[in-house]
Amino acid sequence: MSLPAREPPPSADASLTLRFDDSDRDVLARAFRTPGDRSPAWRLNGKAHRISLVDGFDRLLAWPVLQGVTRYDHQERTALRVLREMRGRAILADEVGLGKTIEAGLVLKEYAVRGLVHRALVLTPAALTDQWREEMETKFSLPFAVLRSVRDWDRKPFLIASMDTAKREPHRGAAQARPWDLIIVDEAHRLKNRFSLNWRFVSGLSKKYMLLLTATPVQNDMDELFNLVTLLKPGQLHTYDRFLERYVASPDRRVPMRVPELRGLLRDVMVRNRRGIAFTLPPRRVHSLAVRLSPAERRLYDDVTEFVRDAYWSASGRLPWTARLTLIVLQREIGSSTFAVAETLRRLAQSPLFRMDERERLEELRQEAVTISTNVKAARLREFLRSVDEKVLIFTQYLRTLQYLREVLAADGYRVAAYHGGLSLAAKDAAVRTFRQDREIFLSTEAGGEGRNLQFARTVVNYDLPWNPLRIEQRIGRVHRLGQDREVHVVNVWAEDTVEANLMELLDRKIHMFELVVGELDLILGNLDERRSFEDLMMDIWVLRQAEERRSALRRLGDSLVRARAQYEQVKETNDTVLGETGEAVSA
Amino acid sequence: MSDAPPLRPFVIEALTDLGAAVSDGDSLVWVQAPESVQRDLEVPARFALAFDPERNQEFEAELVAPGSYFLERLVSVVARRGQWDVSQCSATGTEWISEALHECGLGPETAVSSRVDGIEDGLLLLFAFRVTLVSDEKRESFHLVAVSLVDGSTWPVDPDRADRGLVPHPSSGIRPDVEAAYRLATDSLRTTTGAEVERFRTRSLGLLEEEVRRIFGYFDRTIEGLRESDPGGSQDLLRAVMAERDRRLTEAVERFDPKASASLCSIRAILVPTARLVIEFPDGTRTESRIDAWSGRVRGLACRVCGGTAGPWRPSSRDGLRCATCASTPAESARPRGRPKSDTPRRGTRAGGASARSPRGSRARSRGASSGRPRP
Repeated sequence: MSLPAREPPPSADASLTLRFDDSDRDVLARAFRTPGDRSPAWRLNGKAHRISLVDGFDRLLAWPVLQGVTRYDHQERTALRVLREMRGRAILADEVGLGKTIEAGLVLKEYAVRGLVHRALVLTPAALTDQWREEMETKFSLPFAVLRSVRDWDRKPFLIASMDTAKREPHRGAAQARPWDLIIVDEAHRLKNRFSLNWRFVSGLSKKYMLLLTATPVQNDMDELFNLVTLLKPGQLHTYDRFLERYVASPDRRVPMRVPELRGLLRDVMVRNRRGIAFTLPPRRVHSLAVRLSPAERRLYDDVTEFVRDAYWSASGRLPWTARLTLIVLQREIGSSTFAVAETLRRLAQSPLFRMDERERLEELRQEAVTISTNVKAARLREFLRSVDEKVLIFTQYLRTLQYLREVLAADGYRVAAYHGGLSLAAKDAAVRTFRQDREIFLSTEAGGEGRNLQFARTVVNYDLPWNPLRIEQRIGRVHRLGQDREVHVVNVWAEDTVEANLMELLDRKIHMFELVVGELDLILGNLDERRSFEDLMMDIWVLRQAEERRSALRRLGDSLVRARAQYEQVKETNDTVLGETGEAVSA
Repeated sequence: MSDAPPLRPFVIEALTDLGAAVSDGDSLVWVQAPESVQRDLEVPARFALAFDPERNQEFEAELVAPGSYFLERLVSVVARRGQWDVSQCSATGTEWISEALHECGLGPETAVSSRVDGIEDGLLLLFAFRVTLVSDEKRESFHLVAVSLVDGSTWPVDPDRADRGLVPHPSSGIRPDVEAAYRLATDSLRTTTGAEVERFRTRSLGLLEEEVRRIFGYFDRTIEGLRESDPGGSQDLLRAVMAERDRRLTEAVERFDPKASASLCSIRAILVPTARLVIEFPDGTRTESRIDAWSGRVRGLACRVCGGTAGPWRPSSRDGLRCATCASTPAESARPRGRPKSDTPRRGTRAGGASARSPRGSRARSRGASSGRPRP
């Protein structure tokens, strides 16, 4: 075996000479031969070039262009440090909720603006691909596409792919065949094992810059830290044997040694911002407004549930995916309001997805729904609103529920700003503006204010509860975020003996979700040994016919959640021990 | 090189020059765009511009900031226009000659005397270049280089002063030899940016060397460890480690390999009164020189110590003509080290058909570059 000769790199001895562009010939050929150009245009030509010059990373050019992003000093400092000192290869290991995605987007945008990144790849867990695409597009105006087919590797210069898809053929070969200017790996603790397919896949990608995002670089033992850093910068932590010998207490690989020295090495490749005292968010207080449905509402809820269970376990075999999805929507809508479900029932009663007898049942359910003119949850909400004298955000998932609530609240004399996906950009701006100025209530659907600052309010009402806990967290995050200096109130309205009641049991009582910092829930759910989404898990439990079966399944899921939270707490502690001082304490 | 011009006036001026009607309000700028602008900039007939990201939600205004889509489009459109221009220097009389001599340290107080042999119409070409240095970072700069078609001399020009004293000139009939002048300008640009390019190269290669050393260190020791722990172990594993090392090395070379390029942005021809004069120094030597009324640069002189041609000058009867830098430095340390400092290339042909210049400047200069104008 022969090693490559240790020759200096190609241009080490040759002097670097200025190469002149071939397009100069065109300018020379046209000059003074064609009519047209004038002094003002000549002057502007020079100004245009000077305005677009790029000179190192003295400041962030992209910072002013970002849309709907609150600027924090620690994010700017991090981006500049990655660009200047780490030269685009870094582990972004901020504690949760400090904006790793924004920092990564900032670095990417800076490179793109300077013409240093023309092809970028984001690798994420499958559940986060659309969220990444949305953030990159809305906040950074970066035209990312989510990987749909193997041809996308050629056609899309800014691509988001799930790690699980990308690492397998035919995608693996296609991804590794092309050079990437920048690779971002979200949830990079999944690269903890250097013998895993994940690690080898990322290592085999040809890249100029790379950002690894994780709040917990160390999950179980110190090997994981070594593997992560070596992927980014081989040799930074010496060889594996030397690393073990010097920085890991034998035989327990979880315990570090020479921590200050280790942190010194990590500082070259890792930024970990931590919450300083001034950066700690005020506490959240959770209020539960449980209601007992009226007899008519109860009957409708049970009838819809029965239909859903029947259709779900249909004798005709496994339902098509679209029909299953429709049943989930139906069950979620009845959890929101009778008004939300009525319209869907009407539509489904005419849908070929269902058999004739099913369509007849759906029509009966619709008739049952439209006879109900008031909802108990709304009455409970009005009662609550009478007890507060400050601005309130009310979230619902459905437009029909929003319309119903708007009428009810307006009749009570409240000044309401409505915000939903059907509004134009200007109308949405106006809704936020008027809420800030003189409205008492901001009534919003799920589209409610992604990226908009609503911290001037501090009370969030979940009129219905999305089954995806991250959605609930996003709602709360509209007011419980950096910049909020008052205690935040989260008010959950839900009816007994419903899916939402189960959800409250799991999220509130088991893992105290409403006390978590934004971002932590994500990590806890990531510890669940489950491939299916949380929504699917909830539905799977709900459609079980026997109450005892449902209780038992719910208990098992609850136990898994408790374990996942304990695991997260332990990992957090380990990371604080090993990495605590590699970044800086962030103050608001 | 100079600071970038302010954004807002540039955008307003550019849109106006493209034919748009622009109304500058407090927070927003309103634009009524003709069809050509709508097409080129992909905008509607009437739209608003916001320079503050907090305001661009209002009226769905286009945000103008570095990196914004609108600014990139506008810059691209404007940079495709105005690639050449003809201007003329509006100076009259002869006062500019004595002013120029005074400015560069050759005024009457220095015991230098001069005689104007004639004033003629000279032609300068001003080349604008964008210089780009790239490795894993990018550094760009903007340069103007003036080339005299009378004597082939070249010098850098401050972009903020490129318009000073110039008025538009009807361009018909001007057909300068741009090719030859371009060659002189590129040589000059190589010289003036040489130190910066070299610094960039040294830094990039230093980073590459560090990276290469670390990669070799890691992989070689890993291979060594594998061999020691299992002398008869798998060759496939060793080969895989070595392949990984080679791949990482290739990646490092691609990442840090420095590149330097320049592109021509535009050319401006400047018709300018140019004086031929003879300068007599305190030590008795005489030099033929030229001064143009636009740049005021006294050409044809060279420092006795460093060979530089830029001035300003410090003539003395004992040491002859020296530039201010050399004159203020002790004689020992002022000796040239390596290549003499000069903005003007040493080799190459003169523009406008004149003969080659002497490496030392004015003494061997040909006289008959132009017919000249009677002395006023």
